[in-house]
Amino acid sequence: MIALLLCGSMRLNAREAVNDLTAPESRKDLETIQKSVERVLPQARAATVCIEIDEGSGTGVIVSEDGLVLTAAHVATRVNKKATVILEDGTRLKAKTLGLVADKDAAMVQILDKGTYPFVEIDRAESTRLGDWVFSLGHAGGFDKERGSVVRLGRLVRIAGATFQSDCMLIGGDSGGPLFDLSGKLVGIHSRVGQQAQVNMHVPLAEFIANWDGLINGEFIGEGPYAEKPEKGNGYLGLATNSISDGGLIVTKVGLKSPAELAGIKDGDILLKLNEVHLEKREQMQEILKNLSAGDEVTFEIKRAGKLKTITFNLGER
Amino acid sequence: MNANWISLSIIYGLALPALGQQSLDSAYRTTGTAVLAAFEPQRKVLQSSSAVLLDGRKEIGYGVVISSEGLILAKASEVDLVVGLSATVDQTTYRDVKVLAEDPLWDVVLLKIEASGLVPVVFASTSDLAQGTWVVANGATTRTTRRALAGIISAKSREIPASGGAALGVTLKPNSKILEVLEAHEKSGASDAGLKNGDVILSIDGKAVRKIEELGELLRDRKAGSTIQMIIRREGKEISLDVRLSAYGELFTDQMNRNDQMSGEYSPRRSGFPRVIQHDILGSRHVQGGPLLDLDGRCVGMNIARANRAESFAIPVEELKQLAETLVKQPQN
Repeated sequence: MIALLLCGSMRLNAREAVNDLTAPESRKDLETIQKSVERVLPQARAATVCIEIDEGSGTGVIVSEDGLVLTAAHVATRVNKKATVILEDGTRLKAKTLGLVADKDAAMVQILDKGTYPFVEIDRAESTRLGDWVFSLGHAGGFDKERGSVVRLGRLVRIAGATFQSDCMLIGGDSGGPLFDLSGKLVGIHSRVGQQAQVNMHVPLAEFIANWDGLINGEFIGEGPYAEKPEKGNGYLGLATNSISDGGLIVTKVGLKSPAELAGIKDGDILLKLNEVHLEKREQMQEILKNLSAGDEVTFEIKRAGKLKTITFNLGER
Repeated sequence: MNANWISLSIIYGLALPALGQQSLDSAYRTTGTAVLAAFEPQRKVLQSSSAVLLDGRKEIGYGVVISSEGLILAKASEVDLVVGLSATVDQTTYRDVKVLAEDPLWDVVLLKIEASGLVPVVFASTSDLAQGTWVVANGATTRTTRRALAGIISAKSREIPASGGAALGVTLKPNSKILEVLEAHEKSGASDAGLKNGDVILSIDGKAVRKIEELGELLRDRKAGSTIQMIIRREGKEISLDVRLSAYGELFTDQMNRNDQMSGEYSPRRSGFPRVIQHDILGSRHVQGGPLLDLDGRCVGMNIARANRAESFAIPVEELKQLAETLVKQPQN
């Protein structure tokens, strides 16, 4: 019975026979590889996106119709952070980071704009074997609409712990991009490279699957080196305030080049709300900041010269 | 685009725990002998129809054999300054290599060796190949044997604008109220046109220029490799000159960024091409200039630049054929 079930599942995840050859032996074998790539490339390409976070640009891949994206932790940098996802045609979409696994370089991003997005299937059966032919996609060097994402072909040359190594050559900007098998299933996410061009590392999909719920729920999983754990209370605004009688806090000083100053907050502004909380006392603001960390986003509603204004920026590191 | 790409961290040692580790023998990797054995028919084409260009014993580039009498196309910027250039085709080395003509826009030079009975490449009818299509190019070589490397078409064919834009290639006298030339850069079109110290630039394509800002404005939308008509004043006389614009990146070395640092020996001239096809064959600046072949062994292009670790460019066969015709017809220098 068990044997039968195994047979059945193997059939469902049919591997290209060319993968079982130690090397392609004929032109026919080469054409089999080529035809597989050509067949699955349009969908793989449509699901491969550029991710911009702060000043950085990496790659990711959409794995569900509603816009769930897999990428690398060192692209996401932190959980619940604002991001922009760029589709193949240049469409820019609002997104935010969900969870990440800091010691495995795995992360999720959710597209926030509602829509039906092109996506790829992930290799849940962990069917990839050493020597399998694979191809990588990525926005090498950043998004370039004229060029599109760049495809590179290679083999899975090493499997060691939580790392796949392939000879698909990667470069900066490819980070977080997808590695596919010949059936077009997602098998890995680009992570890091060796000095030699043939040495390129990917996070196996198994690491995502093992942490799926935590990733979806926006958890920061594991300890370094691919993302730094946020420390609560280490963020700062760079301004001094006094409470005033008719509600709100008046800004009495703005630090030179502080996050507040760079965001445009000025002496004399009246802070009415911080992250939707009405401000009456200075202690309230301190209480909110205690639970946030450097890099977190804050939104102030302020009054300046009688006019209401909303200012959003990231906390600096204390 | 104002975002910077995110760097991949570089792992120097690859000492991973041996337990549970599986590693593919190097022969079976994409650049390994067992895999490349499948490309023997295309390798044979490289053996007869590509040239190895040498500076003494050092390999500096490759060439495309385009006639049985020894006409060869090569990458100009890798060949230009070599004094004792020699070329190997199949197993014969030719010591006397003449430079017949050059196209600075495409960075291609036409060479001639004293040979007969060579086997020229067969041009494919189109370079319009789907992404994922196998292509084959020269890898390192021994004295007698060419080696092949394989890869796939990996991005859309497109123009690669000159890095840094088009440049005139002159230094102007500082703090001067007129556009007086201090010097023309050695490798620039300005130098080729004879522009020299003391010349005063008066107009470009019929438009008077007086300030450096006006000059910059006029050059902004021009392409590297295109020619402008310039009127200068030299020793009281007005002279008209045709000056080819250079790519800024050709005259001044780009500052290396982190992607460049991880790209090994990339081609110094890697931009300013009207159209390229892109592939992922592993290479360096020293394997450029040879033919790019399809599985039928036909020439779909000429390798013109190793842009970085992950991107290589080739001149598409349509443009290459035209370029070859133009260069062959050019008066020989």
